[in-house]
Parts: sequence; structure tokens; C-alpha cells
Amino acid sequence: MAKKNSEEQRFTLSSSPHLSKEDDVNKIMNTVIMALVPAIAFSVYHFGWDSLLTIMVAAGSCLATEYLIKKMRKREVTDTSSLLTGILLAMTLPPGLGIGFVMLGSVFAIAIGKEIFGGLGYNIFNPALLGRAFLQASFPVKMTTWEAPQHLAMDAKSFATPLGGYKFGESVIQNAGDYIDGLIMGNVGGCIGETSAIAIILGGVFILVKKYADWRIPVSYLGTVFVLGGIFWLISPANYPDPIFHLFSGGLMIGAFFMATDMVTSPVTPLGSWIFGIGAGVIVILIRLFGGLPEGVMYSIIFMNAFVPLIDRYTRPKYFGEVKK
Amino acid sequence: MAKNKISLIKEFTKGLWDENPVLVMLLGLCPTLAVTNSAINGLSMGLAVLFTLTSSSIIISTFRKIIPDEVRIPTFIVVIATFVTITDLTMAAKFPEISKALGPFIPLIVVNCIILGRQEAFSSKNPVGRSIIDALGMSVGFTLTLTLLGAIRELLGAGTIFQIQIMPDSFANWMVMILPPGAFLTLGFMIAGYNWINDKLKTQ
Amino acid sequence: MKSAKLIIVLTVTTLLSGIGLSFLNSWAQPKIEAYQQKVLEQAIYDVLPGIEKYKVKEIEGTKFYEGISPEGQTVNVAFRAIGRGFQSELRILVGMDTSMTKILNVNLLQQAETPGLGTKIADDPGADNPAWFMQQFDSLTVAQQDIDYVKNEEPDKENAEIEAITGATISSKSVVNIINKAIDNNRELYNSGQ
Repeated sequence: MAKKNSEEQRFTLSSSPHLSKEDDVNKIMNTVIMALVPAIAFSVYHFGWDSLLTIMVAAGSCLATEYLIKKMRKREVTDTSSLLTGILLAMTLPPGLGIGFVMLGSVFAIAIGKEIFGGLGYNIFNPALLGRAFLQASFPVKMTTWEAPQHLAMDAKSFATPLGGYKFGESVIQNAGDYIDGLIMGNVGGCIGETSAIAIILGGVFILVKKYADWRIPVSYLGTVFVLGGIFWLISPANYPDPIFHLFSGGLMIGAFFMATDMVTSPVTPLGSWIFGIGAGVIVILIRLFGGLPEGVMYSIIFMNAFVPLIDRYTRPKYFGEVKK
Repeated sequence: MAKNKISLIKEFTKGLWDENPVLVMLLGLCPTLAVTNSAINGLSMGLAVLFTLTSSSIIISTFRKIIPDEVRIPTFIVVIATFVTITDLTMAAKFPEISKALGPFIPLIVVNCIILGRQEAFSSKNPVGRSIIDALGMSVGFTLTLTLLGAIRELLGAGTIFQIQIMPDSFANWMVMILPPGAFLTLGFMIAGYNWINDKLKTQ
Repeated sequence: MKSAKLIIVLTVTTLLSGIGLSFLNSWAQPKIEAYQQKVLEQAIYDVLPGIEKYKVKEIEGTKFYEGISPEGQTVNVAFRAIGRGFQSELRILVGMDTSMTKILNVNLLQQAETPGLGTKIADDPGADNPAWFMQQFDSLTVAQQDIDYVKNEEPDKENAEIEAITGATISSKSVVNIINKAIDNNRELYNSGQ
């Protein structure tokens, strides 16, 4: 996708790297990791050093798993993509999840999520999200027990997230101040790296500007959630949350900027990117409003990942001079 | 005579390993994936298939020369369905608990490809004794595979095997293993393991 | 001649199969019914304390199981509550006093919820008392209000509250709703049939 920024507007160059550029996998991965620094910093401030420990354990386990599997397959580890996978996985875990669970999720993410398919570039699903899905399906209670953020510490053993609050009727977000302080700044309960929309957008815009992620995906994804959420809200404001709440709560921001845009598991064509983003947005709203779970970002992206080969196939640009059949 | 004896043994063991119905032929995956959330369920399903397959094979190989080619498939199905119903009713009457746990998958044995497949491929062409051996080999292979699959899933998903606690108390059960995705994951790893061992055996 | 053979073989096969199975069925069917009856009876005696026997009373197609005390009086009544849980049909037997204002006991007859989560409504292996969830309904008074559920706090039994299972809110909620609905529907029906 890095090669997508062809200046030539008449033809779209996409799937193959036709021009050689200095970008390589490592440079892209490291830039994306840098873009995550604001969100990581906020999570350490918000949830304490435990969250940094979780991130390090996940990153370390992912690297170790990658190394071991590559060794078994008699290959070399050539890129730092597993480091990014580890960090992203950690960002989607609840604070205070035991080290053992973090390691298990990391091993699953790399071994089953990526290496089984043949390594980087061959995986169908976003490995970090697959690791999270495994943990979510295996330890549902652990994965939905939210520790209160450090500086909002209170007696409560568990702490409702904004979305969980909406779903199970203990509203967390009530007035305009809660929107700014809670949802946009991130002073709410939630996964390690998902609470602060502002920190994620900061990093997200950075990779969009660097063109390491296709802007169409976050725009169509967030746009669909906003519009569809808005339609339901207009129909019945009493039953459905407003679109701003949808946009800034849960894992939508980190999902839209860092998960859905994963180069391997998103479509290569511009039209495909739009379809991908819109599809994922529709699924998020359906799960949030009508599903059994409070949050649907993870499943929406995994679900759309499965459609990527099909989307690519049907949005393939015409060959030059190809005649319509 | 000696040659015949060896091949009879081979007739039996091919179902266990070389032509294992689940791991090699990938037959009967519906019950394989659906009921193996515990070792006991895997074993019960295996035994139900063992009874059905062996009985149908006996009947069909006995009457193989009478059954006209044109109606062989409906005849096989009627015979198989009869034995499946016998299994279903007997289990419901004698072992209601197991019958409840296996639910609709006992009646569904009737469409299990292993059974029709063995009639079509083997017992309609071979004498009774040989057909019994073939049916036993196939169903024992099926039973062992399902029991192993169930045991792995039960161990990781509930910490037990045949309801006996194996894992220490501190072990957090991997709930996903007793859910449907766990069946796919475990079966995938078992097939991978099978191929890996097979490769090792061949290169030796 | 050839087609005659086809017909004969198939007819004989199905005939033999039919005869054999009908014999088997006449042996198995009573046993299966007896088992179902035993399960139901067990459940009725479970939810209706202090009864000697019970009798079935059918009002407009709904079956009520009336508990008869050793003195021969109708002391309490049980009925089925059926509805959807998170992913399966839940069947619950509810035992109440004859005025249908107080729950005596409830018994979960059937469920196939998510193993390890929703199944905790029947059996919570991690708890000191694995059957705690359904037992919360025992002796709740529902004359004035419906049963309600709370999360992560102590339920107020006087106000007909129960505690939902962490991680299985939907299953917990379903049980509450199914029982509430069945009580509402059956209370009038039963009183009208008195």
C-alpha cells in the first residue's frame, strides 16, 4: 500500500511495487510503532506502569514466538512486524490482565495468526486482533473485567466502560464534560491503548500523512459508524447513543487507524478500501446496538479481513486497453 | 494362507492410520467437530458409529450379490438408517444422559459419509469376514481420533479428561476449546501432527 | 423382469426395516417416556416443597402442576416458563404458592448456553455453591413488582432482586425475563380457572 501514492492520476498503480522506493517493511513498521507512542504514553499515565509491562511482555513474547517458529522453519527473522503485532495486541487488552494470559495471546497471534499462513504477507487476518479474539473467547470474564484507571482510583473492584455502561444500563457518559474529558481525552475505563481518542488520532494522522496507511479506510470506517449511528440516534434518541459517543468510545479509533489499515489484511484497490471500511462500520453498529456484546470493532475488522481477497478480486482495475466483455 | 492373514491385519490397521477416516479422508467431520467437546462424548459417538458401521457392513456384504446395482444406494441408506434408528432408540432408552448430550448427532450418523462410503467402497464388493474387519478398523480409527480430539479439548477447555481433574487448580480454562472454534483449531493441529509424523516415518 | 427384482429387493428391505424398528420402538418408547416423566416429576417435587403428590390441571392449553399436601389440599402450583436465552431455548419450571405472589423454587429443566459462561445459570463450577444463580429466585415475593437484576452489588431480596452472573449478563437477564413473563401470563389464567 505504500506504493499507492502514484502522482499519475489517470492510471492507478496499486498492487505491485513498480517503482523502487527507500521504504521497506522495517521502516514502515518502525514508523507505525512511533505513531503509537502518544497512545502508549497516555496509557502509562492512565493505568500505571502495569500497562507498560503488558506492552513489553506482549512485544517480547511475539518476537520470541516469531524467532522460534522461523528457526523451526529454518528461516531468518527479517522484520520487526511481530514487535508491532505485540504492541497492538497489548493495546487491546484490559489493564491488569495476568502476564500468562498476555503471553498466551501473543503466542497465538504470531503462531496461528501469522506464521501458520506462511508468515508476514500471507496472513488473512490481523494477527493482533486474532490474538485478542482467542483471549476473548477463552477467558471472557477476565477480558471484560476493567480495572479502574490509576488516578481515578476508587473502591470499585470493576469499572464499567462507556460502551458496557450503555449496553447494561449503567451510563458512564452523561454530560458534555464527560465527552471531552472521558471520551476524547480518555479518562474512562477500557483497554490499555484505546481510551484516549486524541492520542490515537495524533499517531493515526501521522501515519496517514506519511502514507503508511490508506486514508480511505479510517475515513470510510469512521464515517459509516458516524452516519449509521446518527440515523439510529435520530430515529430514537432515547434508545440509541448519539454518533459522537459511537465515534469516540470503545476501540473504534485504534481499530480504524491502526488495525483496519494493516497493509497485509486490507484491500489494495481504492474502491476496495471504501468497501472494506463501510462494511466494517456497518458491522460495528449492528453489534453495538443489537448484538450480545458491548463492542464490535474487533469482530468487524476480522470479519471484513476474510472478505479482502474477494474484494480485491472484484475491484481489480482494468488492464490498460482491456475491452469490457 | 499366510499372505491372506497379513492382509487381514492390514485391512484392520489401515483404518487406524493409513486411511484414518478423520485425519486422512476427512470424512464424518460434522460429528467430529460438533460433539467432541469432551472425551466421553467423543468416545460415545465413536462407539455409536462402530455399531452402526459394523452392523450395516455385515448385512450389506452378506446380501451384496442379491442387491441390484441400480438400487444399491437406496438399499444401503435404508439399512444404515435402520441401524442408526436402533442405536438412537437404544441409547435414548438405556443411556438417556449420553443421548441428551449427543443430541441430534446420533440420528445424523445416517448421513455420515464414512458409513455409506465403506458400503460403497468395500462391503458391497467383499466377503463378510473381510468387511467386518474393514468396518471395525475404520470405526476404531474414528473412535480413537474422536476420543483423542475430545480429550485434548476437554483438557484445555475444562482442565479434565473423562471428568477427572488433570490440570492444577491455578490453570485458567481456555473456554474457546470447548466452543466450536476449538474443534477446528484442534483438528487442524491433529492433521498437521499426523502429516508431520507420517513424513518422519517415510523418510526413515 | 429386471425391474421386478429392483422393486422386490427395495420393498423387502424397507419392510424388514419397518417391522424390526416397530418392535424396537414398542420396547424403547415406554422407557423413553418413563425417563422424561421421571425427570419432570423429580423437577415438580423439587420446586413444590412439602407435597405428597401432584395433579395436572390444564387451563386453555397451559399445564399447571398442582401440589397436594398430605392432608389432601392444593397448597402450591408449578408451571413451565419457556423462552430464549443468549443462544438456546431455556425451559424453567417455576413453583409458586396458589395465589402466585411468592416463588417457592425454580428448576432449570433445559439450557444450552455458551459453555463456561451462560451455563453458569445452571452450574457455576467456580462458586462455593454451583447452583447459586437459580437458587436466588427461591422465596422471592413478586406480588407488587417483577423480579429485577443487579450487577456487582448486593441484591435486595425484599425487592425481588437477584444478582446477574458476571460475563453472562444476557443469559441472566433472559432467565429473569422468562420467569417474569410466565408469572404475569399465568397468574390471571390460573386464577380464572379456579
